[in-house]
Amino acid sequence: MKNTIKWLFISVLFAGLSCTDLEIEPTDSNFDSLSGEFSGVDPAASLDGLYGAMRGQIETQENLYALAEVSSDELMVPTRGTDWGDNGVWRNLHDHNWDAVHSFIKNTWNNLNQNVYNATLIIDSRSGGSPQQVAEAKFLRAFNTYWLVDFYGQAPFRTPDEGPNVNPSVKTRAEAFDFAVQDLTEAIPDLPASGPGKSLNRASKVAAQYLLAKLYLNKFIFLGTSPDAADMNKVIEYVDAISAQGFALEGGYFDLFTEAVNTETIFFTNSSVGARIWNTLHYKQNAPDNQGGGWNGFTTLSEFYDLFEGNPNSNEPGSGQEERRGFVPNDGSNLGIGYGFLVGQQYDETGTAMTDRTGNPLVFTKELPGLLGNNESTGIRIIKYHPENGSFASHEVVFRYADAHLMKAEAILRGGSSGRTPLQLVNELRTLRSASSLSTVNEQSILDERGRELYGELWRRNDQIRFGKFSEPWQYKTNTDPYRVLFPVPSTALISNPNLIQNPGY
Amino acid sequence: MKQNLLRKVIFGFLFLTVGILHSQTINGIVSDNSGPLPGVNVIFKGTTNGTQTDLDGKYILDNAPSGAVLVFSFVGYKTQEVIVGVQTNINVNLVEDAALLDEVVLIGYGTTTVKDATGAVTTVSSEDFNGGVISSPEQLIQGKSAGVQISQSSGAPGAGIAVRIRGTSSVRSNNNPLFVVDGIPLSDGGTAGAANLGGGGGSAKNPLSFLNPNDIESMTILKDASATAIYGSRGANGVVIITTKSGKKGSGGVFEFTSNQSLSSVAKTYDLLDREQYLGAITQFGGDASALEFGSSTNWQNVIFREVISTDNALSYANNYGAGNIRASFGYVNQLGIIENSSQERITGRVNATHKFFDDKLKVDANLSYSRVNDESPMVTNTSGSQGDLLGATYFANPTWPNDVNFTSGDGKLNPAQLLEYYQDLANTDRVLLNLSGEYSILESLKAKVNLGFDESNSERAQILSAEVDGFNNGASGNGRGSLQQVNVKNKLMDLTLNYTKAFDNSNLEILVGYSYQSFQNYGTSINAFGLNAQNFNQAVSNLENSANIIGNAINVPYQQYGYGPNGLFINQIIPEINSNVSMPLPAGVSVKSITGDLYNNTDELQSFFTRLNYKIADKYLFTFTLRADGSTRFGPNNQYGYFPSGAFAWQLQDEDFIPEGFSTLKLRLGYGITGNQDGLGYGNFISRQRFSGAGIANDGVVNLGNGGFVAFANPNLKWEETAQAGIGFDYGFFDDRLTGSIDIYHKTTTDLLLQQEAAQPAVQPFVFSNLDAKVINKGIEFAINYDVIRRPDVNWNVGFNISYNENEVQDFDGLIQTGQINGNGLTGAYAQLLAQGQPLFSYYLREFGGFDADGISIYPNGDKQEFVGKNALPDYILGISTSFSYKRFDFNAFLTGQYGQYIYNNTANAFFTAGVINSGQNVITKVLTNGESPANAPDVSTRFLEKGDFLRLQNVSVGYRLPFEGSGFFKTFRLSLTGQNLFVITPYSGLDPEVDTPKSLNNIPSSGIDYTSYPRAKTYTFGINATF
Repeated sequence: MKNTIKWLFISVLFAGLSCTDLEIEPTDSNFDSLSGEFSGVDPAASLDGLYGAMRGQIETQENLYALAEVSSDELMVPTRGTDWGDNGVWRNLHDHNWDAVHSFIKNTWNNLNQNVYNATLIIDSRSGGSPQQVAEAKFLRAFNTYWLVDFYGQAPFRTPDEGPNVNPSVKTRAEAFDFAVQDLTEAIPDLPASGPGKSLNRASKVAAQYLLAKLYLNKFIFLGTSPDAADMNKVIEYVDAISAQGFALEGGYFDLFTEAVNTETIFFTNSSVGARIWNTLHYKQNAPDNQGGGWNGFTTLSEFYDLFEGNPNSNEPGSGQEERRGFVPNDGSNLGIGYGFLVGQQYDETGTAMTDRTGNPLVFTKELPGLLGNNESTGIRIIKYHPENGSFASHEVVFRYADAHLMKAEAILRGGSSGRTPLQLVNELRTLRSASSLSTVNEQSILDERGRELYGELWRRNDQIRFGKFSEPWQYKTNTDPYRVLFPVPSTALISNPNLIQNPGY
Repeated sequence: MKQNLLRKVIFGFLFLTVGILHSQTINGIVSDNSGPLPGVNVIFKGTTNGTQTDLDGKYILDNAPSGAVLVFSFVGYKTQEVIVGVQTNINVNLVEDAALLDEVVLIGYGTTTVKDATGAVTTVSSEDFNGGVISSPEQLIQGKSAGVQISQSSGAPGAGIAVRIRGTSSVRSNNNPLFVVDGIPLSDGGTAGAANLGGGGGSAKNPLSFLNPNDIESMTILKDASATAIYGSRGANGVVIITTKSGKKGSGGVFEFTSNQSLSSVAKTYDLLDREQYLGAITQFGGDASALEFGSSTNWQNVIFREVISTDNALSYANNYGAGNIRASFGYVNQLGIIENSSQERITGRVNATHKFFDDKLKVDANLSYSRVNDESPMVTNTSGSQGDLLGATYFANPTWPNDVNFTSGDGKLNPAQLLEYYQDLANTDRVLLNLSGEYSILESLKAKVNLGFDESNSERAQILSAEVDGFNNGASGNGRGSLQQVNVKNKLMDLTLNYTKAFDNSNLEILVGYSYQSFQNYGTSINAFGLNAQNFNQAVSNLENSANIIGNAINVPYQQYGYGPNGLFINQIIPEINSNVSMPLPAGVSVKSITGDLYNNTDELQSFFTRLNYKIADKYLFTFTLRADGSTRFGPNNQYGYFPSGAFAWQLQDEDFIPEGFSTLKLRLGYGITGNQDGLGYGNFISRQRFSGAGIANDGVVNLGNGGFVAFANPNLKWEETAQAGIGFDYGFFDDRLTGSIDIYHKTTTDLLLQQEAAQPAVQPFVFSNLDAKVINKGIEFAINYDVIRRPDVNWNVGFNISYNENEVQDFDGLIQTGQINGNGLTGAYAQLLAQGQPLFSYYLREFGGFDADGISIYPNGDKQEFVGKNALPDYILGISTSFSYKRFDFNAFLTGQYGQYIYNNTANAFFTAGVINSGQNVITKVLTNGESPANAPDVSTRFLEKGDFLRLQNVSVGYRLPFEGSGFFKTFRLSLTGQNLFVITPYSGLDPEVDTPKSLNNIPSSGIDYTSYPRAKTYTFGINATF
């Protein structure tokens, strides 16, 4: 018996020494080939992921949206006592004092590049995507590349076979521009030919054509040259192609920002519009499906508000305002929340004049003391999506025909050929929006018209740069550094990839 | 033989002590040099039959067969055997065993003695444990050992505890030591953190709460690398070996009953404005007080805080029957928190049995413990935003509001009464820990041991935020949100060791070789729901569970994730192939509007070979060498095995002629070793791997399934963090060791730091996981002294003191990583700490605050920019002071603990106590009214909110009295005690308590020293009884 025990122990000891091979099993995740070589991704799932990433990118008020809008003369986020200081990120954007560690600049860089890489993986033949899946991935890669070109002026690139120890090569602004154009051109034949409808939250021929028009319109800025008639003709050609699919201007301005199908929406995402609504409304402004109230932040500038027709000091109904300036209801209609530009006394859903949180009348002022030192009622609020259509409705327009229409007008003004004149096109839109017709158009009036039509739709910074106004001073911004037409490459990116060179000035 | 074995096994494991028919009676007295010895075991050799001596050292044995051998054994004495002849009276004089007198020290896969130990090792045994309300074992030894910083992150029942042995060495990994319970190294985790339903996410509970402190015999802290290297890739943060009580001391069968009743109340609250002060303040800052006057007068802190009585009862039975011993225990604790709706209930059961077979050649140990921990938590979170959590809402709440759950402010402010009424967070955790070991003496000098361990924990946490709650802007109001998290851990262990000892003329050799295999499985589900469709919490939880079950059962294909919502039911599949947004038929009976579920299940393995060699020459020169090879499935293929060597030398200097006679002890210890930390690695981070990200439910109930994508990049070189530690120490003793102590100096260099670095974009993910070529240095000195001021039969007085100093610095790191997220209104994106080279970990990076200008706006003399301010969150000095005094039947203990040199960032003050807050109609503390700040001022992150965190706390003071029951009647001993915990704390810190660490990690880098709506600490008085019978 003792011997049995003895041998039992010894045999157990040796049994133990017949070791495990220490391999993990793919029990809850999908392993790439163990050799580390790229073996493809699931194209459908990855595409869903890319659309999801885009949705997330659009719906937040930070990052992409903030860089495109808060750095312009259209939006600012004043610090209001304990609110919206946020370590200075909003103030730095508006007064052009951002640096290379700004979190929005870093996050946007990472998000855009990550999307580019994920699209590259889908496009790779080893992923076995269908022609349409590859085309959609190319559209999404071009969409992200477009913003890299616009914001940063350069774009790093990594192939699927380049592991983490490879420093990505860097495309210049011109190379990245060509890359986006090539992706879109290659994608168009395999993208669905969609007319106005509910499926436009995925890539289509018209979305690609719109983005090509946008690229060619900005090409002279991206390349540092002057406008070229051939490029402008391309803009016109692509806009006409979109129009040929049944897209057109449509009346009823604020109805365009709902889930209903219209002829203007070229591309939308299922992003929640909650941030667009609530980041501007006061804490006490509320809707039944949002018990939390507004966040009392985003504000526009009086100079921008004054671009619209109407009584400058009141936006209550009957102030002679054009449709796009919206109105402030004083009779409890529309949940007591206005459309467009909210200025002056605000009223609740019963038509009663509201007070702020410490009992003073809630009057949104046109002027502000500055970026700092604000109380909770300074600044004109700006709202396009309305809680009447769902406080957090999942539908945000990204590409809209009115923009294409104005791009065409601008392209003609910049030397493109068409049977229409810029003045005709601009007045066509203005008439539809119940604004008086202009007698002439020049660059300034196109820029102003784009502002009135497209405020809060991601394009103001891009427009101001294209019209040469971005480095001029405006309200609460004195910095005129010309190099700020580009954002810096984030400092973390410079450390991780020595091929990147910081943009001039930073 | 077989029958005999079977019988012994049955006896051993079913704890039957045997009474046998008798024919002959033997009696006698057992004594030592100082008189009769009570409690000596007297048994017939080879059996379990026997008895114990009584208080007069007398024993009587019936049924003694002629020729039998009597074995007399007693702890601390040499065992004697006497052959029973014809005599019926056998008196025995036991001799003290000098070797045994030396306290046994656990060193991992074995033991040594204090005298022979070569490493920096401290043992704290149960009589020295901290008393009072103890929710987890680390608290038992807080302040008991130099160089060991133990801090509870908050005052919540079951709150997480940070243990730092000789500083903080890892940038992002867990810095807690490895805990080994009865030979089983535990893994981290096992409890779920709080899901964010709208008020911020919360911490997981301390997983070590499952151990009943009454069951713990001793805790041994292995501090230096020469001691921890035997644990290889898990030894870098030190090791704490927990030994549970055996039945050894229960000769003849002893029951022990302990009961504590504790009265707790909040130790400190904030000086918030009352009704009149508040209305005055509104006017002072230009508001219309009448608009904010709701007619009541409510002290909101009184609404959420409470005075509670907690109970802790434990019953155990121990029996030492000679050939083995057994101890069984049962514990019930119901610890109530000082905030409403917070409690921790623990039910624990344990059986520890040891039995020896074959003339003591085979020793079998079995330890089985089961525990059930039920946690109830209020909405006290780490990362609440502008509306605050329960505590934040309490600080904000207008004191003129009525204390009424139906009250709504209407502008998005949270009513604390609603957060109490409409939020429920219940968790329960079942844990079984089993180990079986057999040690067999193959030869006199060769022992083989098999140790098998099994550790399973199943935890479920259900949180509900009801639809009735007002003011949440995430759709919870009006719909309700809920979360159900199932977290399961299953670990298996097999250790095989051979131990060989050999005595030479003038030296002794001991060699240990071993093999260990451990697997760690983690699996579970995370479920979130929206639109709970319920009238009460029970219905909400059951709707949540039922809906999850119905959907889980309806999906008959493998999946990672599902989402059910207004658009239908969709799943994401990850194995064997990836398919996203696959539409599934809608099952009937789903009672919630939207629900998502996400599964995980992964297993890691660790396989190790180790050896230790101890060599002792002339009882003076002691050498130890260890080597461990750890193979882990967490390491990349190019670094599958890590090798961790160590060496130590100790010299008993007091035996040398050149050392003055005055030293009763003087031992020099030198040690060097390399250890690892693989905790931060996680599963499968070296391989290119895809998974879907978490699903979300939008504010309108629309479900967004997660996006597929890579969660890890291939990195075949990925490996553990490595720490090289060198140490030198002296143990000293004077006056026949009435005065003892030690001094240690150490230097630790941690390299190959694990970090999620910013990936070089474009990349699949924002971060790449890799080992950095940077260092963290910790160097320090530890000093301990203990003096028996009075050592007399009736009077004993002992004073102990320990202090340690540690310096920390990051070197060769060419990045800058922000951590220490600061939350609150207008503080999005704000942070307070920066990881950078040349700075200690957790260095503050802030605006330098220079007061307010005439307009009440903050002045930043160095500009409106953040910079290093030369302060950090790590304490320079930690100390413990203890004293114990006994006089006859009375005893008295007091224990103080302190930390010096650390700074706290008061995020609570930053977010809640500024002029802008009162100007938005929310309450503040009185100081805000007079500090000169304008309500339009932006309270940016600055040194304005950085405070010294020094403290000295009277942690524990207790008085006990032993009733004179010994030997008379039912009770063997009976002790009454009164314990006070946290009776005072001396600190300049203005917050509720300076011992605070709200987890505020950023960029996957943990923070330290930030206080944000931290659960306050209690002041507790405990009345206890302890009886044996």
